[in-house]
Amino acid sequence: MGEMEQLRKEAESLKDDITAARKAVQDLTLQDHVAGTAVVGRVQLKTRKTLRGHLAKIYAMHWGTDSKLCVSASQDGKLIVWDSYSTNKVHAIPLKSSWVMTCSYAPSGNMVACGGLDNMCSIYNLKAKDGNVKVMRELAAHTGYLSCCRFLSDSEIITSSGDCTCLLWDIETGTEKTVFAGHLGDCMSLGVAPDFNTFISGACDFTAKLWDIRDGQCRQTFGGHESDINAIGFFPNGNAVITGSDDASCKLYDLRSDQELITFQDSSIMCGVTSLAPSLSGRLLLAGYDDFNCNIWDTLKAERVGVLSGHDNRVSCIGVTPDGMACCTGSWDSFLKIWN
Amino acid sequence: MDVYCSNNVLQARRTVEQLRLETELQRIKISAAAEQIVQYCQEHRRADPLLTGIAASSNPFKDKKTCVLL
Repeated sequence: MGEMEQLRKEAESLKDDITAARKAVQDLTLQDHVAGTAVVGRVQLKTRKTLRGHLAKIYAMHWGTDSKLCVSASQDGKLIVWDSYSTNKVHAIPLKSSWVMTCSYAPSGNMVACGGLDNMCSIYNLKAKDGNVKVMRELAAHTGYLSCCRFLSDSEIITSSGDCTCLLWDIETGTEKTVFAGHLGDCMSLGVAPDFNTFISGACDFTAKLWDIRDGQCRQTFGGHESDINAIGFFPNGNAVITGSDDASCKLYDLRSDQELITFQDSSIMCGVTSLAPSLSGRLLLAGYDDFNCNIWDTLKAERVGVLSGHDNRVSCIGVTPDGMACCTGSWDSFLKIWN
Repeated sequence: MDVYCSNNVLQARRTVEQLRLETELQRIKISAAAEQIVQYCQEHRRADPLLTGIAASSNPFKDKKTCVLL
């Protein structure tokens, strides 16, 4: 096949060009830049609340924009909306499929969404006039499991799937608006930029991709991880991306210099990262691991400055409130804990 | 050319197109990128409750002790 060989050679040559272009802007490393900065002092957070009620492994949680209500999804087949201040359950929503892997709270607070092995993203209206929470839309088009979903607004949601694609949906019509194709492995996680113009996805092809939401283009691809990327999030200023992987490390990639700036790893950590969330200023990185703990890293110095231990099984999800006041961890032990 | 072969060629063409696009990105120097990240952390450090700590009286997650009026 003459053309295949030609295309293969061209691809290799372009990859070399990208490597060279990245190297050309390496005038300094982040470590050099912060050599004079002190590591933050030991961070000791206490469990302030334990949210009890799920009867099986918790797979996902997401804070509402009021920093008080949050939604969690468990394979007991329920979505629970919690008032985290009082620990009261505001809604306990039974799901058609108990194999849920993700959930999301709409910024307006009017809806929640979830999905999993049913390959669908189900949208629930929390503010129906009769007071009953019911399914508003079932978004079906993915040919693989739903790994993550995030609302852009009450009318649009982005989903990532085991079918290696992400989709932007029109919730009103229940149809796909844009396909984001390019990953060569299951998409495991996604994060929306603070300005809502782009989003990032992490996948089992060990790469993270930055996508333009409106035109569907992949703008940048970041490699370096040696295994599946399970978790991804934006650094609060929107100019950097943080990933967490089965290779036991987290990495911070800067978008404008198009490369990895720092890796968060320790020889004593040998298990995968399941989830991550930066603190409000971005100085702290909280990451959940398979070994039942959550490590707190100094983002600039890449040193561990704290640990949250208290769960009796894998920490599967983590989220910091929009106001930065607390972080919530969800675990396979069926409990959610609020820490600050 | 059978379907399997042509799918591979299509995939390879798309890969090359994508790589061409990514090659054209304007990249800034790491010194500038690092400076922006550090500056953001500095500017928002005082407003980061997990970093500065939270007074018990202003912590919505801490149970307040109730006063009993006798």
